[in-house]
Amino acid sequence: KTKIEEKIVTTEYPWIVNHDHSKQTEIADWLTLEIQDFVHYISPSKEEIKARNITISKLRQAVKSLWPDADLHVFGSYATDLYLPGSDIDCVVNSTNCDKQNTSSLYKLAKHLKDEHIATEIEVISKTRVPIIKFVEVESRIHIDVSFERTNGLEAAKLIRDWLDTTPGLRELVLIVKQFLHSRRLNNVHTGGLGGFSIICLVYSYLHMHPRIITNEIDPVENLGVLLIDFFELYGKNFGYDDVAISMTDGMPSYLNKYDWRDIHPMRNPFSLAIQDPGDKTNNISRGSFNIRDIKKAFAGAFDLLTNRCFELDGATLSERKGKSVLGNCIKYKGKERDFTDE
Amino acid sequence: SQCPHKWKRVYCTLCNSKRHARDRCPSIWRVYLIKEDKENKNKNFNNNKKQIPFDKIYCYNCGSQGHFGDDCDQRRSSRVPNDDGSAFSGDNLPAKLKKDYYN
Ligand SMILES: [Zn+2]
Ligand SMILES: [Zn+2]
Repeated sequence: KTKIEEKIVTTEYPWIVNHDHSKQTEIADWLTLEIQDFVHYISPSKEEIKARNITISKLRQAVKSLWPDADLHVFGSYATDLYLPGSDIDCVVNSTNCDKQNTSSLYKLAKHLKDEHIATEIEVISKTRVPIIKFVEVESRIHIDVSFERTNGLEAAKLIRDWLDTTPGLRELVLIVKQFLHSRRLNNVHTGGLGGFSIICLVYSYLHMHPRIITNEIDPVENLGVLLIDFFELYGKNFGYDDVAISMTDGMPSYLNKYDWRDIHPMRNPFSLAIQDPGDKTNNISRGSFNIRDIKKAFAGAFDLLTNRCFELDGATLSERKGKSVLGNCIKYKGKERDFTDE
Repeated sequence: SQCPHKWKRVYCTLCNSKRHARDRCPSIWRVYLIKEDKENKNKNFNNNKKQIPFDKIYCYNCGSQGHFGDDCDQRRSSRVPNDDGSAFSGDNLPAKLKKDYYN
């Protein structure tokens, strides 16, 4: 009986299987180790990376055979290794003539991919600001979005890769926050949620302004647990969304008073997240996240869940702690089981 | 919430705060693993003078540079209370820098 119960419990937090940190003296260290295990758990295996690369090169060949002057590139979370299992791959087709963003080209490529037996479940979405075709790649079953004649996604991916190289802890915290928002359906920009780039900017600015980090006192990777709680505290409880905007000028994160950022005025709703586009100071990259009230509430809730869990486990005996998860109080992983091997 | 009978005196023996009881003390989880500071050890003979990076300190409450949000003298922007203090406070600086910060 106990075995069955255990299996049910641990499937919601699969990253703790065979990784027990309940004997850590500090709960913050326990949480840090769990975050590292979680990131390890959801990171793609060698086979998944290989399957993805094969899929992309197949697609690229198909695009080039249809249009010799065009090329296909990956941007978004796959280009920065910040994707969750099962995420769509975002691609863009760019051509020297810059003439592929029209309805007939979209249908032409869709038909070509179908004829080549690369794509199934194809949708052409041409009447939006950013026309795309969506499909499932036949062999890998990966969902793919292709947009046309755009370079800003590629530039953003390059910038984010630079940030990841220079900001220890950024990747881990971004993946945790993404999974957290994903499980609460607050990560979809079409429904007012927080998009991937906005999440990265929030975590990046946070890590570059944290008192213990700017004084070079701590290694962020060894302090992911307390840093995660401090993050939820900042953006769930204390940040002045009405008055403060986030800026990334020259890669240096800072806050500024919204009053001084003239381009976002007049503001329809002052209680909103405003993040200055690192590539265009007049553009607010999070203007679509109109549901910031729920996002803030969710962050505050995560702070309460995690700290309550810390208080509870702090007072518990070693045997009561065994097999428990700290992180699992705010993050669940649902989905097909993944191989979890130590490498 | 105005009822005087419900009001109980709380006191934290961990951090001497009167805002929470010991079993809900932020110091239970707000624990940082401080670097074995090789730099500092090397600098010991170099007077060990660490400077506060005021250029990297920004206020989450008003957006200005030079102070943390907890220490802002403007009206609080967020409607969620901050009774126990947060990470973004001069109190979360190493002891040596705290004096310089509050001066
Ligand atoms: Zn206390
Ligand atoms: Zn201030």
